[in-house]
Amino acid sequence: MIEARTLTKRYGQRTAVDGIDFQVLPGRVTGFLGPNGAGKSTTMQMIVGLDRPTAGSVEVNGRPYHEHRAPLREVGVLLDAKAAHSGRSAYKHLLSIAATHGIGAARVREVVGLAGLDSVAGRRVGGFSLGMGQRLGIATALLGDPATIILDEPVNGLDPEGVRWVRTLMRSLAAEGRTVLLSSHLMSEMAQTADRLIVIGRGRILAEGAIGDIISGATRSVTRVRTHDAERLVKTIAGPGVVVSMLTDGAIEISGMTAEEVAVAASTAGVVLHEVASVSGSLEEAYIALTAGEVEYRSSNPAATGAHQ
Amino acid sequence: MTTIDKQRVTFIPGQESLSFAGVLRSEFIKLTSLRSTVGLVLAIIVFGLGVSVLLAMTMKDAGLPTGPSVGFTLDQITIGTVLFGQLIAGILGVLVISGEYSSGTIHSTLIAVPSRVTVLAAKTMVLFCTATSAALVALFGSWAVTHPMFAALEIEIGLTAPGVFFALIGGSVYVGLSAVLGLGIGTLLRSVAASVATVLSVILLLPVVLSVLPASTLVRNLHLLSMSKAGDAMSNALDADGVFLDLVDGYVSPAAGLTVAVVWAGVFIVLGAIRLRRRDA
Repeated sequence: MIEARTLTKRYGQRTAVDGIDFQVLPGRVTGFLGPNGAGKSTTMQMIVGLDRPTAGSVEVNGRPYHEHRAPLREVGVLLDAKAAHSGRSAYKHLLSIAATHGIGAARVREVVGLAGLDSVAGRRVGGFSLGMGQRLGIATALLGDPATIILDEPVNGLDPEGVRWVRTLMRSLAAEGRTVLLSSHLMSEMAQTADRLIVIGRGRILAEGAIGDIISGATRSVTRVRTHDAERLVKTIAGPGVVVSMLTDGAIEISGMTAEEVAVAASTAGVVLHEVASVSGSLEEAYIALTAGEVEYRSSNPAATGAHQ
Repeated sequence: MTTIDKQRVTFIPGQESLSFAGVLRSEFIKLTSLRSTVGLVLAIIVFGLGVSVLLAMTMKDAGLPTGPSVGFTLDQITIGTVLFGQLIAGILGVLVISGEYSSGTIHSTLIAVPSRVTVLAAKTMVLFCTATSAALVALFGSWAVTHPMFAALEIEIGLTAPGVFFALIGGSVYVGLSAVLGLGIGTLLRSVAASVATVLSVILLLPVVLSVLPASTLVRNLHLLSMSKAGDAMSNALDADGVFLDLVDGYVSPAAGLTVAVVWAGVFIVLGAIRLRRRDA
């Protein structure tokens, strides 16, 4: 459980995190989604006390991070891959972190195995690929068997197998009742891993909730049909709240009616439909709509112009 | 990279929690698991012993005292460890903290141990003990190795001769304090290059600069209260008359040297601690 109250971080004139409130609940994977520079990493650094909030507060499992008697057992954190000295072996790195809490070598070997690092644990971290660095970071986060896990961009640099591994691991940790907070700017990853989302842009929370609700809130779902008898169909279904648009390829998009309602209406009127489909927005569309005004670094080609309510 | 299918978090929650003893063990593991830091610790011993042997081999040509002399012997067997050791230990102290900033390990460290002063205290203790131990090996080793060479010239001095034992201890503690000075400077400045340059300036350059300045009373006093002068004093035998500090005569006793070195190292550690506490990591 993570709880932030009007959490704020300013660097001189620049506001990185702008008075945000949020809760990350146990038993599910919460995704922290936002463009680069949105304030995701700064927020995560404030959760574990590496950065001090300018105002507001954030608590983990009921108290500020630094007040826990065994922080590693409360929270496991991956903030940047390779937060380990390049000249030290992965095993010694883990051992040195574990030693602070009296966690023994047996547990260190266990997380090494869990992260799939058995064959390279004795090697110096300097020779690690980005993906191996991520695995080491995740192994470090799991050392204390923490109730809360916070991972900043964990799939960066991982191969497809590694991505799948992180995804299954996060889901199983959440299923055990742990709190899992995961940041990413990769929508597809979020859509597959997270149950809930906190969408952040320019230091503010743009949306928070179940993934499905965020998608339906920020995009519209339509029913797409094809028929040879478009004119009669349109007459049949016309009514308040129903918007019909003809697409150039001959399909008809209807909003304000479900696919079922359209099909029933058409059938009653004797209109033959040869395609009926519900088209819902994707997380990507929702994200672009939500963050349209909030992207700090934008490429100069015309960007998507989603409406932001 | 396999073992994807057997992920289970099998750790049974136990009594493990954060303790200062654990932080000390952690810092010791870190210090002894890098080639660079281990190499520097060994270098204190190698340079200390090497210089002593070299000096003993050539002392006949350099001019001998007429009989056994505590002052002469101490000069011969401490100069390598104190002169080189202070610089090596200072750089070791810098690396212990700056290496964490340059590699990002500082994040892992502070996540495991949120109290930053605790981290610095543990680093200080582990580093001081390690550097002092290395210097003890170098100094007592130097005495042991060169003893037969002095004996051959019939000018040998035993460990029980007045002041010898404590001068060797004093020289070792000075090397340990030089390491702490480096740690303080490294914590304050974070960058390896800037910190090493500052350590060298404080230990080496400051006395040189002071010695070329016009010899006013202020300059003379500053010179006597410099870090490296403290090292000289700590690795020498106490004068018979037992004066603590005589700025007019230019005499610094071992105890006064210890005080001066503790103040130098302490000031930088405190400044480093303040910066560590106040700034974001």
